[in-house]
Amino acid sequence: MVSVPAKFNKQDGMLKLVAEGARSVTWTPVSGSSPQVNVRIPEITNLQQTPATAAKASIRITAKDNYTFTFSSGNAREDQQLVTNTLRQWIEAAKASQSAGSPATPAANLDKGGGQSGAMAMARAIAGAAATTRSEEDTYDDAKLLKDVELQRSLLNSSPALRQRFDQALRDKPDTITIAQFATQFWGTRVHLLRSHAAEKAQGLGTYNVLSVVKPQHVDGSIKLNMTKEQIQLIFAQHPLVKRVYNENVPQIKEGEFWSRFFYSRLIKKLRGEKITDTDNLDPKLDKYLDFDDDDGQARQLTMPTVPRIIDIAGNEQNHSQKQGNRPDWTMQPNSYDKVPILRTLNRMSEKMMADVPPSDAHQHAPAGMDEETYKELQLRDLQRSEEDNRVVLKIKDQSQLFAAGQGLHTSSSAAAYAKRTPAEVLSTINHDMGKIMSARSKAGGVNLETVIGVEDDSSSEDEAKPRKVVRIGARSTRSAATSQIIKAIKQRHLHNDDHLAFHAAGSGEQAAKYGLSQELFDSLAMTHNTTVEFLHYFWSVYLSGDPDRAGEVGRLIETLDKSLDRIKAIADSAESERSAKIDLLMKENEAYAKRTGKRRRFDPTKVEGGAQAVNKMVGPLKRAIRSAKDQFEKSLHEAMAQTAALTSRTSEVVSNH
Amino acid sequence: MNAIDGTVRQVKTDDTPPPSLLAIVLDTNPHAWAHLSSTLPLSSAIANLLVFINAHLASGNANEVAVIASHSRRAQWLYPTPKGPISHHPSSNGDANGDIEMNGVSHPNGSTTTTTPAKENANKYRPFSTVENAILSNLSNLLSSTTESDLASTPTTLIGGALSLALTHIAKSTLLHSPVDPLASDNPLSALADSESVARTQRIPLTSRILIISVSGDLANQYIPVMNSIFAAQRKRIPIDILKLAGDTVLLQQASDATGGVYMKPERPEGLLQYLMMAFLPDAVARRSLVMPSAGGVDFRAACFCHRKVVDIGYVCSVCLSIFCEPNLPGNLCLTCGSYLSLRAAQTATPALVARKKKKRKRVAGTDSATPSGTPAATTPMHP
Ligand SMILES: [Zn+2]
Ligand SMILES: [Zn+2]
Repeated sequence: MVSVPAKFNKQDGMLKLVAEGARSVTWTPVSGSSPQVNVRIPEITNLQQTPATAAKASIRITAKDNYTFTFSSGNAREDQQLVTNTLRQWIEAAKASQSAGSPATPAANLDKGGGQSGAMAMARAIAGAAATTRSEEDTYDDAKLLKDVELQRSLLNSSPALRQRFDQALRDKPDTITIAQFATQFWGTRVHLLRSHAAEKAQGLGTYNVLSVVKPQHVDGSIKLNMTKEQIQLIFAQHPLVKRVYNENVPQIKEGEFWSRFFYSRLIKKLRGEKITDTDNLDPKLDKYLDFDDDDGQARQLTMPTVPRIIDIAGNEQNHSQKQGNRPDWTMQPNSYDKVPILRTLNRMSEKMMADVPPSDAHQHAPAGMDEETYKELQLRDLQRSEEDNRVVLKIKDQSQLFAAGQGLHTSSSAAAYAKRTPAEVLSTINHDMGKIMSARSKAGGVNLETVIGVEDDSSSEDEAKPRKVVRIGARSTRSAATSQIIKAIKQRHLHNDDHLAFHAAGSGEQAAKYGLSQELFDSLAMTHNTTVEFLHYFWSVYLSGDPDRAGEVGRLIETLDKSLDRIKAIADSAESERSAKIDLLMKENEAYAKRTGKRRRFDPTKVEGGAQAVNKMVGPLKRAIRSAKDQFEKSLHEAMAQTAALTSRTSEVVSNH
Repeated sequence: MNAIDGTVRQVKTDDTPPPSLLAIVLDTNPHAWAHLSSTLPLSSAIANLLVFINAHLASGNANEVAVIASHSRRAQWLYPTPKGPISHHPSSNGDANGDIEMNGVSHPNGSTTTTTPAKENANKYRPFSTVENAILSNLSNLLSSTTESDLASTPTTLIGGALSLALTHIAKSTLLHSPVDPLASDNPLSALADSESVARTQRIPLTSRILIISVSGDLANQYIPVMNSIFAAQRKRIPIDILKLAGDTVLLQQASDATGGVYMKPERPEGLLQYLMMAFLPDAVARRSLVMPSAGGVDFRAACFCHRKVVDIGYVCSVCLSIFCEPNLPGNLCLTCGSYLSLRAAQTATPALVARKKKKRKRVAGTDSATPSGTPAATTPMHP
């Protein structure tokens, strides 16, 4: 039950949403004990709230009367949100159950007459239609999607990559987690995929030009027709003439014979829009229908009731240029049917098919026929002035006025370092330093850069070796330090293959070779990484859900993460043995070489890459992520334990007092 | 076709690398340079920088350079010297520097210092000495006009302003270089369209880059202007290179990462010249064939708009994308755009780790169902 302080008729009181039994909204004044207002949820026809920007937070409930409540607590806006959200859910639930039985109440939700307060704005129309749209939305509801096993299976089947991940994670899951829990966790992080898959599946194929699809085939000298029931229905729907011919002939002719005769008749050629030639079969029964119009009287009205002038070819008759002595125009004339029958047939087919499809470019509930919008569409807009800008203007406030933008000298991160000098000392240091170069410049006519940068390549090495307090700028040691730092950075980038193009070109084998690992090991490391990231996802989503019922799951996920660490360790171990095998092999080769030639090659085992070190370096961030998850878990567990302990001790005190 | 109207039209394509503009933002924060004075004094850094600039100018005939000082209270041109609002005295010392006016910079406090112009050194390539003279005299003017109160008021530098100056200069230079749309120059026919019998050289767009030599930390309070500049540079494909001699790294590392620039934090600042020459000299064209040094882990964290703190988990306005460090905004209104913003739903629930005891407690209906879509985002810990 929700209970918030709210004013009604300028009186203070409590607004309550009663969930028990018949749901209702009540308001009780502070002074009274029994509720003055009591509205049952199904009676509510409209719910409005003041917009978030209004000064007062209030809602208006319309049932038999209008009730306006103004929230009076310090947290008025939050209260308003809470009440409207709850009410909205209840009302929709009530509507849904109601519309199943009786027809929905006529739309009584339109805001008539503006109401008494201008600030009142429509919160949400709760029309009868809302119930149906709601149920449609519900198929995409998270909880429903998570329960739909069929859907999940179908998504897995359609995406091999996802299937692989699912199977891998399923294999690695700890036994303590049930398959149902696992599935919830797995799909919990992928609801969006389920939703889009559900939407994708919900789309069906539209109608098609069925006569062009059905083709009789010659099998063993006889004609075979493969037609489904749906196709026959579609033929009847698309070609009322065929339905008529069928009705008038079929008891006399056998069904199968009718269709095979039909598919070789002149009639079908006409319906398909092909030219009829003299060599075509004659069929006295069917040919008599040749002159009938396919779209008989009961055909739906497909053409536009009024053709806009601008695209009306027949309208050209009005401006009869021939009357002024010009030659008849031969381009824009309405054509006779026989000239290009195929075009007409196709156009007619398209019209028929499109008639069943809800238009995507128009509002679904707009009035039929040409409306204002269509009229505007057809206007030559580029000859008109551009429309007014109807974008919503964002008012960006100046941030620096809100908070002090500047930082003081003492709050800075370098405060300690800078505090050594007063501003005056800073200035004199800098000026003294710059003075040197400036005076040198004015004397010599320009700076002698060669001496200033301090690079003296002939400076002897013993000069460098002398212990100095200050390393000279540009000294050889500093330059080689810089070089090695840059070379290291370049190598690092080369290793990581930051270039995307190169990354795609290189397979995982090449990647593995760079780290000195076998491809097999590299792949299994990648797999372990994937599943561990997966479990980290589960951990955080369960951990942050705040649901006490899932508390047990969190603990089990921590165990899983521990196991992930074990798996990483196992890979590191096998990488290490792989590396020592490699070293052994190289040693043996060296021995053999030494025996053969009598010369010994220098061999440094530390130069052999790979091993546990390479693995651990790669999974460093992953390990850190696991560690931080565990740390946080342990910390909060500790706190929770302490809290429960405190709570139980307090309860026992209370008990003992009684 | 040529035979018909008797004109000869041809498009010359230039094989030489396109001219390159290097805009250097030099952080001249006196606090930081004074702090660095024992390891790398400003004067040495300037000298090293001059050598680097000369190397850049020498590596292409048409190469250009621009240097901007990002000072504690303002951003100031070092090269080229702006001619506009700066009043200059008629002086007798001749126009030694071509068309660059640099004599006498009036100061806010009214006094005027005239720097003694350097004698032209006959042994120095003239473009080099022009740049050198301009940079040195502008810098010394800037430093001598810095007051103690300027320094006392801020520990950091106006990197945002300097970055904007660099970007506007690049935009202007790019236009000056190819007044026609740079895209159109890819198509030789478009050049033909407006030419009459003149053999014209295909215009080659200027390739530009920005190098920030930074010594200050505490840049997070300029998060918004710097981020805007980064996005502008990203759009214009201008890499921002960073040479971070001192200070914390949060913001500038993102700048180089987002724009594909080079980030370097020298372990030995004394080897400055080597860093400059080796990591920052190649221009955008040359970089296509090189492996450039990598920064490794980048700190991608953002600073909140309310306190300019760098945050791990922030709350973002769905309308204007402002970032806030806490969900409790005054009046639930976005501080930047004033949109109503209920961040309560985005708050993560406190983890419940102890299973609830079976109690006869009714759940309060719909207390937290305002928006069920607010899934808490799990974050992976940052690189230290
Ligand atoms: Zn903040
Ligand atoms: Zn906003």
